[in-house]
Amino acid sequence: MTLRDCYDKLGGDYEEVLSRLRSERLIQKFVLKFPDDGSFETLVRAMGEKNQEEAFRAAHTIKGMCQNLSFTALGRSADELTEALRNGWSDEAPALLEKVSADYARVAGAIGELKASL
Amino acid sequence: MAGKIKQKILIVDDSEMNRSILADMLGEEYDIIEAEDGVQAVGILSKQASELSLVLLDIVMPKLDGFGVLGAMNQNGWIIDVPVIMVSAESGSKQVERAYELGVTDFINRPFDALVVRRRVVNTILLYAKQKRLIGMVEDQIYETEQRSSLMIDILSHIVEFRNGESGLHILHVRTLTAMLLELIAARTDKYGLTPREISLISTASALHDVGKIAIDGAILNKPGRLTSEEFSVMKTHTTVGAEMLQAAVPGWMTDEEYDEIMKTHTTAGADMLARIPVQHGEDLVKTAYEICRWHHERWDGRGYPDGLRGDEIPISAQVVSLADVYDALTSPRVYKPAIPHEEALQMILDGQCGQFNPMLLQCLVDNAEKIRTALQGDAAEEIQQRNLRSISEEALRGEGGAVSERTLRLLDYERMKYHFFAAMSEEIQFEYTVTPSMVTLSAYGSKMLGLEEIFMDPLHSEKLISIVGARALEEIVRRQRDSTPDEPDSTMEVLVHLDGESRWFRVITRSVWSKDLPPRYTGLLGKAIDIHEEKMRLRELEKKASCDPLTGLLNRTSAREQIENRMLVHPDGHFALAEIDIDDFKRVNDELGHIFGDRVLQELARRMKHSVRNSDICCRAGGEEFFIFLEYNTDIERTLERIFSNICFELDGRQVTVSVGVALGDDVGQRYEDLYHAADVALYAAKRGGKNRFCFYDETMGDGGTDATKGE
Repeated sequence: MTLRDCYDKLGGDYEEVLSRLRSERLIQKFVLKFPDDGSFETLVRAMGEKNQEEAFRAAHTIKGMCQNLSFTALGRSADELTEALRNGWSDEAPALLEKVSADYARVAGAIGELKASL
Repeated sequence: MAGKIKQKILIVDDSEMNRSILADMLGEEYDIIEAEDGVQAVGILSKQASELSLVLLDIVMPKLDGFGVLGAMNQNGWIIDVPVIMVSAESGSKQVERAYELGVTDFINRPFDALVVRRRVVNTILLYAKQKRLIGMVEDQIYETEQRSSLMIDILSHIVEFRNGESGLHILHVRTLTAMLLELIAARTDKYGLTPREISLISTASALHDVGKIAIDGAILNKPGRLTSEEFSVMKTHTTVGAEMLQAAVPGWMTDEEYDEIMKTHTTAGADMLARIPVQHGEDLVKTAYEICRWHHERWDGRGYPDGLRGDEIPISAQVVSLADVYDALTSPRVYKPAIPHEEALQMILDGQCGQFNPMLLQCLVDNAEKIRTALQGDAAEEIQQRNLRSISEEALRGEGGAVSERTLRLLDYERMKYHFFAAMSEEIQFEYTVTPSMVTLSAYGSKMLGLEEIFMDPLHSEKLISIVGARALEEIVRRQRDSTPDEPDSTMEVLVHLDGESRWFRVITRSVWSKDLPPRYTGLLGKAIDIHEEKMRLRELEKKASCDPLTGLLNRTSAREQIENRMLVHPDGHFALAEIDIDDFKRVNDELGHIFGDRVLQELARRMKHSVRNSDICCRAGGEEFFIFLEYNTDIERTLERIFSNICFELDGRQVTVSVGVALGDDVGQRYEDLYHAADVALYAAKRGGKNRFCFYDETMGDGGTDATKGE
């Protein structure tokens, strides 16, 4: 599986990330690192505890990483959740978390496949 | 500049991935330091702000966000020297505006573009490096100017004193006026490229305009009347002679023969003095002085001397000095003329009576006539010199007058190193607290000892700190700080610290820190905590020893009395009894069985006394074989005393020991120690008289009844 295939699978924009980071080696390094970041777990836990502040920060962090890596789909759902949590708890948040979780699972799955094929 | 030393960049972002993307983009050229939240960032800044070339700062972070970090950077003045680029996915204009207000230099939005990041970083570092260099440059300039000025004035006041009747003030005036005129020109046009440095150089060099006069015959120089045309042509040579002397001052500017020739023809005094010009800095200075010496008698219309230059062929330095020279010569007294008033002198110059000048220059003079007149009045020259120095740096820095200089930074670095060294050596818990942000910084040793982070936020709500020190002690520290004043900022208190299941006493010494504002604001505190546990325990032990009878371990009379009085004070409604106990025939026991046995009797009695009463009751050896017990009772005191009495009569090694006891009740005689004691004493004697081996309660019929008859048995 190529890095490009991986991007297609996880709903990212490979062309875009390549134009910015300019190095396939670097992109691969960061993509492989992505699952190690604990922000998603933090997000799920904080949402469970209805800890709006922490959930906001975690969603925000995921959004930032996705922007940097051009993980378009997850970035978009993380952005929606971030905005929903920006000014306090929102009743839409749990539904948005579902979306984030689904997109995250897709990303994690694709990266797992990439790792296995290396 | 820094040579091969890598510039340090601090990356602050809570996402490890974002930090590492940035670090990878910046590559090997920089030394990267990372912080994962605002608190860590502030910690790093407080240790090494002056070494950092740049901070890349995220906004949304736990503990302390990007704005908090910016706040701390402003509070501590770090923002002046360390540029900050905000890195964020935030793009709300409010956020951006606020960040710029707090002094950030630039923004980089996510997603990062490697080229953009690199370019922004390089540009920002360059810009700031330039500014830092500029600060250094201006400092050097000020230093140079100071050196030069004092040296020049030194030289010239000698020459002037020595050679002619002009006062040294002429030189000061010319210099002041030259500087003023040059600044006015610079404000009007940049045709002459007058930088602050150039202005400083020309006005300093102006002091040398008449240096050639050293070579002029004193008879001509100081002649009171009009000069003959021959004398005047000699006088005119001071321009070229001065120029030649200056040439001689710069090695390689002329051949050795030329140099020798000049040195032969002119006085050695002048040559010596010129040799003192610091040439390593002075080449520009000497060259400027050359222009001034040679051409300060040239005129705009080409009718001056020695070379007949016209218009802007005459260097601006010489143009300005010639006007300043003429103005001051007119308005000052000379051997051949009195001083001419300001207005008249100005008119004479405008009328061309002293030759033609650059019209633009004359305009500057006229427009600022009043300013010039006041500037030269009195001895304002020195002040102007000072103002001049200030303006150099101010102009160069465009209002960044308060910026920290390199020298100050070096000193700070040194102080910080010293502080860290002593802090590391002292094995003391040292701490610092700032109100904004509400943050504690601990010394490395303190952090290790207390198991707290070196830097943490909001100490009054830190559960860990509260569990260590206790909420009450923290509140007490805060209260004391609030009550302190800038004049009395220090406070000492003892605090019980709980660590690893152990409690130890610490002495906490704090000093509150106040701003320089009026009125001063409380901004934080410095402090240290010293472990005084051993010391305090020793002291307690000593106190205890001092209050106890060494043989029996019971309290001695003094401390028992203190405790009794205290007890009655605290419980004025309590029922108290004082039982005075005396061993019967103790003298005989001692005589027959020896002192060692006697001591054992005393010890055994003490032991039995303690066992017969509650811990809260007070047992005392008042002296010799006399003891007492002070107790509080609620029920039948007589039965209690019966029990005690039977307990404290005993047999030791076959010898029966009995006691007599006199008891007084507070309810009968009042809650005063003296009265109780006295009444118990009376009752004791009654018991003795009654045949010993018994106890007696005091009653009023006993009066003062006791005699010495039974005492000492």
